[in-house]
Amino acid sequence: MKIVATYNIKGGVGKTSAAVNLAALAAACGLRTLLWDLDPQGAASYLFRVRPKVRGGGRKLVRGRSDVAELLRGTDIEGLDLLPADFSYRHMDLVLDESGKPTRRLRKVLMPLAEHYDLAVLDCPPSISLVSENVFEAADTLLVPLIPSILTLRTFEQLGEFVDAEVDRRPDIVAFFSMVDWRKRMHREVVQSLPDGRTDIARTSIPAATEVELMGVERSPVVVHAPRSRGARAYADLWAELRERLAL
Amino acid sequence: MPLEVPSHSLALPDGVDPQALVSFLGERFDVVVEPVTSVSYTVVDTADRRLRGAGADLTVDGGRSGPTLVLREQAGAAPLSTDAGRRKRWLIGDLPEGALRDRLAPVVEMRALMPLARVQADVQPLRVCNREAKTVVRMRVATHAALVTGADPVPLSPRLEVTGVLGYPKPLARVLGVLSTEVGLVDAPGSMADEAIAASGGDPEGIRTKVRIALRPDQRTDKAALAVLRDLAGMVEVNLPGTLDDLDTEFLHDLRVAVRRSRSVLRELKGAFPPEKLKVQRDALTWVQAVTGPTRDLDVQLLDWDHLLAEVPASRHAALTPVRTLLDRHRAAALRALRRDLRSAAYRDAWRSYRTFLGSGLGPARDRPDAKRPIAEVAGRRIRKVYARMVDMGSAIDGASPAAELHDLRKRGKELRYLLELFGGLWPTDVVKPMVRSLKGLQDVLGTHQDREVQADHLRALADELAGQAGGPDALLALGVLVDQLDAEQRAARAGFAERFAAFAARDQRKVVTGTFRP
Repeated sequence: MKIVATYNIKGGVGKTSAAVNLAALAAACGLRTLLWDLDPQGAASYLFRVRPKVRGGGRKLVRGRSDVAELLRGTDIEGLDLLPADFSYRHMDLVLDESGKPTRRLRKVLMPLAEHYDLAVLDCPPSISLVSENVFEAADTLLVPLIPSILTLRTFEQLGEFVDAEVDRRPDIVAFFSMVDWRKRMHREVVQSLPDGRTDIARTSIPAATEVELMGVERSPVVVHAPRSRGARAYADLWAELRERLAL
Repeated sequence: MPLEVPSHSLALPDGVDPQALVSFLGERFDVVVEPVTSVSYTVVDTADRRLRGAGADLTVDGGRSGPTLVLREQAGAAPLSTDAGRRKRWLIGDLPEGALRDRLAPVVEMRALMPLARVQADVQPLRVCNREAKTVVRMRVATHAALVTGADPVPLSPRLEVTGVLGYPKPLARVLGVLSTEVGLVDAPGSMADEAIAASGGDPEGIRTKVRIALRPDQRTDKAALAVLRDLAGMVEVNLPGTLDDLDTEFLHDLRVAVRRSRSVLRELKGAFPPEKLKVQRDALTWVQAVTGPTRDLDVQLLDWDHLLAEVPASRHAALTPVRTLLDRHRAAALRALRRDLRSAAYRDAWRSYRTFLGSGLGPARDRPDAKRPIAEVAGRRIRKVYARMVDMGSAIDGASPAAELHDLRKRGKELRYLLELFGGLWPTDVVKPMVRSLKGLQDVLGTHQDREVQADHLRALADELAGQAGGPDALLALGVLVDQLDAEQRAARAGFAERFAAFAARDQRKVVTGTFRP
């Protein structure tokens, strides 16, 4: 099972949109896919119409006292299951801190599921904390959405330095530009100024598009409710790039 | 940790109209009705239905981009698909690399995937939703017909397929409860693929290798033997076309096993048959075994090729290409000879004569001392004797014994194994099963010992031919590595013999055999 995490220290940059759409595309390719909504706000769970509730809460789950298989929920997309969010995840940092090997707990939760899934996608909360360190340790690929600006590029580089310094099992880190508005000069300049050969930034950018924003109304990934839209096509391209990187 | 989603295929009883059922479901549940789709597909499996055994469905579906192989393994999981190409059958190596091939490879192994039935279906998908408008149960009302060449479509029983969604067991139970109590639906007796194969004239169980004849201990030996031999003859016949068409290596393998078992029955129960007729038929079967042997030997060599190559340094692989080419050429020549023999008038006449022998009575019982004796007595006596003989032979084998002695023991072991497989059902399973297990353990090492000997001899015999070819000297050097590898595996098998034989011939085991198979 390959593990991909969508991560950014900031909120509202397109992590959940990327996670749900990429997971939906993976399942459509026949990959047995799991999406773990780690964000206590539960946006991914909401999009899939699944109650953001985990029996026993985050504490029992992280401590290995829950049967994780019993917590899974099938989504409306065949081949895609969800490990839902829970409001108690807001205290996950504390729970992890109290545990042995506090940076490897999330990986341990996922391991019993490895034989059942080809891909797990983790939708992470915005922060830099023990939860994110766990995600860095667990993930094969860290997918980082960036709204184009000079500062976000700098933050991305800092993330790479942090992971290099602090994480034992370094994931492949790849960014992509998210919510790109081609009418804005700053967005155009940042995206176009990147050198072609840069492998840590995906070739595909996700546009700021109405149909992507409408996911909250439709309560489904854009690749499902508007598969021919600009946003859906961009996610399909991003998935193709990611799939190649993951060798899936 | 099980993650399986329950799935039920329910048969619609006569008089239940599929559309009326859809309306009923709409009244009872919050149902989303999706558009009807008409599809035609081909059911694909190996001749022995390995995918059916593994709970998977493989079909070839038509599409704009050409025929596509689609694998459905588990309810609730998305199907896997890959380009099917234009083929009459697929070996694993014919499939494009990817997830579908990876999933199929360990199940299918060396067998060919073949079209077994064509189906036309109208499918009406339905989804039962909860208050959040989330799907909690999936259903498909399907009407099917088998498409048979040169005949009208054969309607198959309409079905309702009901599949749960992971984490939502209660809605599924509710739906199934209503369908059972209010509509009277019950689980369909077999799968749609099975029904389509049967309607197309095939056997849904696929080609089998196990004899399924219910014998009684007091049954006359000649009658019991004939029943078993007729079943085995059917296996020879059913595997013959696939052998001649060379669909995969296992048709020939299974044909030869059926012939060998038949010879074994004729030899071990010879007292039930008239001696002069027996000799003719045994000679005929021996001839079939002989003319099919070279192709099978080469099949074993080629099936083991990747395993052998894995033990040779990668830098030598290219040098072995001429060896592989030569083996392929020899196999093609052996197959041509096999086809010539099995398509000959001599074979047809011999087989007709054998079938007559099995079907038209064996004549007066006075020349056949075991004919009227109970099968349990005669087969039990043979099991006891062959076992005792094997114990004697094996006990005489030591580190200095020639390979031929191990081979002779193996041949006896095959006799015992066939006796146990064909007639073991007459005795308690808790005696026969452990005996078969310890025998199999012994036969495995003896088989490896013999196979490696034959393979090494065969490779050594290629040396002269290779020497004259381009790349010959390099190939000869690499061939030496292969032969060394085979010799090492043969030595390892021999080293394992003592332990396996000790288990087979243990005092407790000997007591059980004597006690169980006594007259």
